[in-house]
Amino acid sequence: MEDIYAELLQKTAAGDQLAFKQLYEKCSPKLMSLCLRLMQTEALAEDVLQEGFIKIWDKADTYTPGKGKAMTWMSTVIRNKGLDKLRSLKTRPVETEAQFEGLEFTSSDLTPDSMEDMSQEMQGLMACLDTLKPSQRECILLSYYYGHTHQELSEKLGKPLGTIKAWIRRGLEDIRPCLN
Amino acid sequence: MPKLDHNTQGAKRYQNPEVFEQLAIEYAVGSMQGRARKRFEVLMETHFYLKATVEAYENKFANLVELLPDAKAPDSVWAGIEAHIKESAPQEEKAPWWKANFFKQGFAMMAMALIVTAVMLYNPMSNHNPISYSAMLESDTNGPMAFTKIEKSDMMIKVDIMKDVKIADDMVLTLWCQPKKGGEPMKMGTISNKGKTNIKISEKQWHHMKDIGSLAISVDHKDKTSEKNPAGKFILKGQLSSSS
Repeated sequence: MEDIYAELLQKTAAGDQLAFKQLYEKCSPKLMSLCLRLMQTEALAEDVLQEGFIKIWDKADTYTPGKGKAMTWMSTVIRNKGLDKLRSLKTRPVETEAQFEGLEFTSSDLTPDSMEDMSQEMQGLMACLDTLKPSQRECILLSYYYGHTHQELSEKLGKPLGTIKAWIRRGLEDIRPCLN
Repeated sequence: MPKLDHNTQGAKRYQNPEVFEQLAIEYAVGSMQGRARKRFEVLMETHFYLKATVEAYENKFANLVELLPDAKAPDSVWAGIEAHIKESAPQEEKAPWWKANFFKQGFAMMAMALIVTAVMLYNPMSNHNPISYSAMLESDTNGPMAFTKIEKSDMMIKVDIMKDVKIADDMVLTLWCQPKKGGEPMKMGTISNKGKTNIKISEKQWHHMKDIGSLAISVDHKDKTSEKNPAGKFILKGQLSSSS
């Protein structure tokens, strides 16, 4: 499938501000959604999104299309920014009224229409995740979308810390051959 | 889980694909955390196969973003990005001196270069022009409570109280800027004990921000809000950091 954002990212690398704005307009809704889940507060999410896009502008010339899609590269830049920010805080901020939680949007009972909208890479990843036990799948997805620590997952799911660590370790061991 | 160790013997273990593949996937998914994550980042700087493996897994997991519902960011986010681009726009490209008719303009250029160098050395702000400052304000007992952002694009201090601060009816919260080198704190205004408060700042106050080390919020009696120094105690504090 053609990577619709790669061209915009490459123009951005050449200093094309109009292309960068188009890239922001097209990609920021998904990336803001990721920031909201990682950071849990709108103010921090906005801050991470802004700093992340500034990094994308500054580092666009390091993107190599052969290594992956533009959107996955940008998601990684922004998510690592968010994880760095979380690491710099003594304790994780908590929104008074939890708005961003759960994994309903990852439900494996997706309609054929929504499956059609997915990239081949995503369909492949979904197939790999579906081979895992539900508890392993849940822990891995919560780690990815919410940046939860093992301790946070233990409290959230009401399971012992050792169990959570084992679920994640085994889950990642099991999914590796499928991903590769 | 394989133990992460950064000594030589430990580093050798990462040449074992079974070990480093597992660590790489844990890093990529985000389940490797804290000091282990930091140590792994140091190792990645010198072990390119680790970096390449992590990047490959990061690329695979990053597809998960496709499943997220859209969420529109406020216009202020793009305004901040745009301000950064304008601030950091490179000066007009100059041809190298050997191509630039040096011998016709040589002395004038040399004189100009000397002046620019002198100004840059003299002016400590010449290589650092922040476009925003931010601070996470934390309480000693409840952790992060408020996020504060100060942006040049709208000359506003935005305080977002994330967990309501309980105060008596006759009390009020006040925001202060504390200079890096000590001395009297600068009063910025009173703020609400819940939700968001915006405080307009002047050009002069914006320029002062480079000398500010931390922000703090005090609880004061309502009848003492006109005082220049905090009368009550500080309940939230946080280091101010700049981004340019």
